[in-house]
Formats: sequence, structure tokens, C-alpha cells
Amino acid sequence: MNKKYVFFFILIFSTQLTYAASGGQLKPVQIDLGNKASLQRGAQIFFNNCAGCHTLQYHRYSKFVGDLGISEDMIKSNLILTTSKGEKTKLGSTIVNAINHDSIKEGFGVVPPDLTLTARSRGSEWIYTFLTSFYEDNTRPMGVNNVLYPNVNMPHVLWYKEGLKEMDENNILTVKVQGQLTQKEYEQEITDLVNFLTYVSEPAQLERYSIGLWVMLFLVFFAFITYLLKIEYWRDIK
Amino acid sequence: MSKFITWIDERLPVSNFVKNHLSEYYAPKNFNFFYFFGSLALFVFIMQIITGIFLTINYKPDAASAFASVEYIMRDVEWGWLIRYMHSTGASFFFIIIYLHMLRALMYGSYKKPRELLWLFGMFIFVLLMAEAFMGYLLPWGQMSYWGAQVIISLFGAIPFVGESLALWIRGDYVISDATLNRFFAFHVIALPLLLFAVIYLHIAALHTVGSNNPDGVEIKQNKDKDGKPVDGIPFHPYYTVKDIFGLAVFLTIFMFVVFFLPEFGGFFLEKDNFVPADPLKTPEHIVPVWYFTPFYAILRAIPDKLGGVLAMGLAIFVLFLMPWLDRCKVKSIRYRSLTYKILLISFVISFIGLGYIGMKAPTPILTILGRLFTLVYFGFFVLLYLTSKNEKTKPVPERVTMHE
Repeated sequence: MNKKYVFFFILIFSTQLTYAASGGQLKPVQIDLGNKASLQRGAQIFFNNCAGCHTLQYHRYSKFVGDLGISEDMIKSNLILTTSKGEKTKLGSTIVNAINHDSIKEGFGVVPPDLTLTARSRGSEWIYTFLTSFYEDNTRPMGVNNVLYPNVNMPHVLWYKEGLKEMDENNILTVKVQGQLTQKEYEQEITDLVNFLTYVSEPAQLERYSIGLWVMLFLVFFAFITYLLKIEYWRDIK
Repeated sequence: MSKFITWIDERLPVSNFVKNHLSEYYAPKNFNFFYFFGSLALFVFIMQIITGIFLTINYKPDAASAFASVEYIMRDVEWGWLIRYMHSTGASFFFIIIYLHMLRALMYGSYKKPRELLWLFGMFIFVLLMAEAFMGYLLPWGQMSYWGAQVIISLFGAIPFVGESLALWIRGDYVISDATLNRFFAFHVIALPLLLFAVIYLHIAALHTVGSNNPDGVEIKQNKDKDGKPVDGIPFHPYYTVKDIFGLAVFLTIFMFVVFFLPEFGGFFLEKDNFVPADPLKTPEHIVPVWYFTPFYAILRAIPDKLGGVLAMGLAIFVLFLMPWLDRCKVKSIRYRSLTYKILLISFVISFIGLGYIGMKAPTPILTILGRLFTLVYFGFFVLLYLTSKNEKTKPVPERVTMHE
């Protein structure tokens, strides 16, 4: 319960700051790193939809065992999709993929960026807003455009889930083609995904807050004791 | 036990050292809040050395692997994240402490006779610390590390005739590169810490020769009892050791709160762009130095000419060295000085904070005007201080120190 309180506190801080930085156009997202189920769903969405092009090159598969409670077998059979020298990538490896940089650059114009630290460099709200701001635009090579990141080269990979939105003359997005999910369900999936990427950007967050609370309690107590000590020693100084 | 101590003392004067510098080193009894920051600065210096050693164990000073090695520390090294955050937060808190330490000296005239050398050593520490922080900031090899260093080093290029070759000599390359990272690593982890250690030693040696000033600016050595002990002095140990431990506990509470709950401090301590690896082909939208450099950066930008800006920035730091000779007032403490000095010092502090704010923001016409105004106030402080301090109307200074509860 204490943990939740701290998360809430951090959330207020981080949300406000990102808001200020981007002129208020980012949508807020509820980050809850204490929600393991959400983090697991986020991992599932990432490896099913993103991992083909995007890497998490500073993070290791093995971290998911302790951090997210995903079993080794599950990771080996469902998350590790690559091979190296003919053998399946090891559990302790970093999360990279097999794309050919030259050919993907030819196809998409850019090499898809590594996403390990995107939640720190751009912010969780940014990723959430980006993934919910695609709309149909037939002038673009991929047939879609993005409100937050105009003329982005990335196709709307999750269109089969979200469907396709179109932009009206007031720049408002409305759903044109229904996907597998309702808008609400889609937003929930993206929240899980962003939650996962926020965890990946700094795994220490899982323990940082709870350890911090104990450290604070100790230091406040320590300061109090040293204060009494100071008073005791200084009694005779006039 | 006493036999053992005698054995040691015959070979190394340990007991004498403890007496001279702790148990019989007399400090004024009226220190206030501002007198915590000296010992705190020493503590943070040692903390930076120790956390720095642990970081060095896993860090790789190589343009191809530096960024990844920092992330390795953050993820795969046991408690690496804590050590890294203590080091990065420690850098910012070092400057908070040093700025308050310097403000204390300005308030109570701690740079005045006989403490001129003490002040000069302190100023050298400040300059070395800025170099240390600047070079350390390159090591994570993020976008802001890279471009911040690029901008600052290119400033040397503004110096006539030798500028470009000087910048080239510092970088070891035509742009910031692996060569630069390697030499900055060498400076950051060994050359500058050694120099800092030496100058801090001199700073403390000078302090223990002349004794501490105090909020009343009264020389306690001029008032001794029949045993030759200052009547307004108390032994540093145990009185100030217990007091400073309490100060340290309060400091650690605040410091650790930031380490555990706000290590990025909203982008002030760890900038967002620095979580993107350095890319020589992609300039970030806003290149902003870390907050502790922004007052001087704002002065640089306030001058429309590049060379002029660099000179103004250098002068802004250099002029502080001259404080003992610019301030000609005999009275030390602000408590007994004129309203003029109080107004001057307050304007100086406001202009410094204002410049710090402006240095963080992208330039706009209003901020540029404000920046110039504050730059004028910043330098005006020293000019007006020199002019007004000689015949300043001061209040009578008491014979003995005063105690405020």
C-alpha cells in the first residue's frame, strides 16, 4: 500500500514535467509497475508485434524471470525468436533481432530504433500518445500518418487490433475501420505495452521505491538520534 | 592500549595530530546553518571518489561501448543503479553545497584578512570541480554528453590566433570522439581528483592555520583566557563532530530521497536526451548544460559577440578570485555592514539564480534582455562593492561572538 502511494507521487511529478516539455499535447497514461499481469501482457504484445524490428539491446531475457515472473521455459519457447550460429539465442543474451540494416533501410527509410530507453528519453506518455495517434493518410508510403510524430516512417503495425482512424477537418480522429478490439480495449493494451517499456527503461524502479522507503525511515530515525546527541553535548555551551 | 599509543606516537605523531586538528582545535561556538557545508562538501567529495571507483570497475571508456556499459551498470551490476545514482546525484549536490559554502563566505566576509589564501584555494577547488564535472558528464556518452562537450570545447575556438588549435589539442580530434572520451576519462578519474585532493588539503591546512571565521566576523583568537584558549572557542571534537554528524544525517535524508525517488530530478540532474546514445550526425534541438553551469552559460549568451561572451564568462569566474581585494570594508560580517552591502549581495544572489534559470531555457527576446540585465547586475556587484566598501557606514562590531537560539 505504501508502494502505491509512492508510485502515485512519482506519477504526479513525472506527468507534470513531461506535460510541460511538450506543450500539453501528450495523453496521460497510468503507469503501475506493481501490476505484474500488466507487465506480462505488455511483454507479450511487444514480442508478438514489435520485436521483429525493434530491439531492447541493453536488456536481457533472463531478467524477465525474476522481474516479471515469466518462467524460463516460457521465455525460451515464446519470447526468444532468434538464433545465433544455428543455435537458439541463450537466456542470458541481450534482446536483439536479426533484421538486415541495409534492407530495412531500403524498405522503411530508417533503421527502427532500439526501444530500451525510449520511456526515459521521450517519456511513457510520449509512447502512449504515439501509439494511439495513427490515422489514415494515403499520401504516405505506409498509408498512415501520426499526429504526434508527423510523417513518421513506421507503419501502423497494430492496425489489426485498433482498426484505422481518419482525421476530420477539425483534426479530430475517429475510427473508420473497426479492428479486433474496441478503442477502450486497444488503449488498455497500449497501456500494458507502455508499462512494460517503462519497466525495461529502468528495471531498478521495481525495487528502488520500496528500498527507498526503508532507507528514509532509517535516516529520519538516525537524524533524530544524532539531534539528541548534539543537544546532550551542547548543553553546557552558553 | 596506552602503551601501544605511546609506541605509535614515538614513531608517528598521531596523538598530536588529533589534538591539533580535532580535540584541541578551537572553533567559534556561534556557527549557524551555513557552517555545515564545509564538512558536507568533504563528505560528498569522498562519496564521489568511492562511488566513482565502483563505477570505474564496470565502465568502459570507449566510444563504441561507453553508453552500453553505463546501462550494464544500471541493469546487470548488483546495486549498480544505486551507485550510479549516488554518483550522478552527488555531482549536483556537490554544487548545491559549494554554492551555499561560497555564499556563506560572501555573507560573513570569510575571504578577508587573514583568510585570503583560504579563499583562493577554495576558488581553485571550485574551478577544478567545474572541470571535473564537465569531463565526467561526457563519460555516459549520451547525446547531451556529446553535444554539451562539443559546444563548450568549441568556445575555446573563439580565442584569437591559438583558439582553433587549442580546441583541437583538447579534443585530440576535429570533433568529440573516442580520443576525447579516453582523455576525459583519464582526467576525470585520476588527474583532477588528485589535484582536487591536493588543493582541498591546502584549503583545510590554511583554515586550521588562521581558524574559522564566524557569523559575527569576530576573531576569536584575540580573546584568550589565561590558558591561551579562545574564550569564544570550543574544541572541534566533540562539539562540532556531533553537530556535523547531525547535519550529515539531515543532508543524507534529503540526498537519499532524491537518489531513490527522483534521481533524474525532472531532467535537471539527468537530462532526457542523455538516454539516447551520442550521435555525431544528429544535433539535439536544445543543447543545455547541466544546471550548475547555466548561470555562466547565460552570461556567455548575453554577450552578442562570441569572443566577448567567452571572455565575459571567464571574467565572471575570475572576478570571484579577487573578492579579498575588491571588498575594502574592514567589517567582515553582513550583520554589522551597511544596507548598501545587503542590497548588493541580495541583488547578486538574485541575478545568479536568474541567470541560472535563463541559461536552461531556449533564448527568447525577453529572456535575452533579462539575461543582459542580470549579467549587468552580476558584474555590477563587484564594481559597486569596490567603490562603496572603502567608506562604508558600518555598525559597531561586538567584542565577543553572540549566540542566537
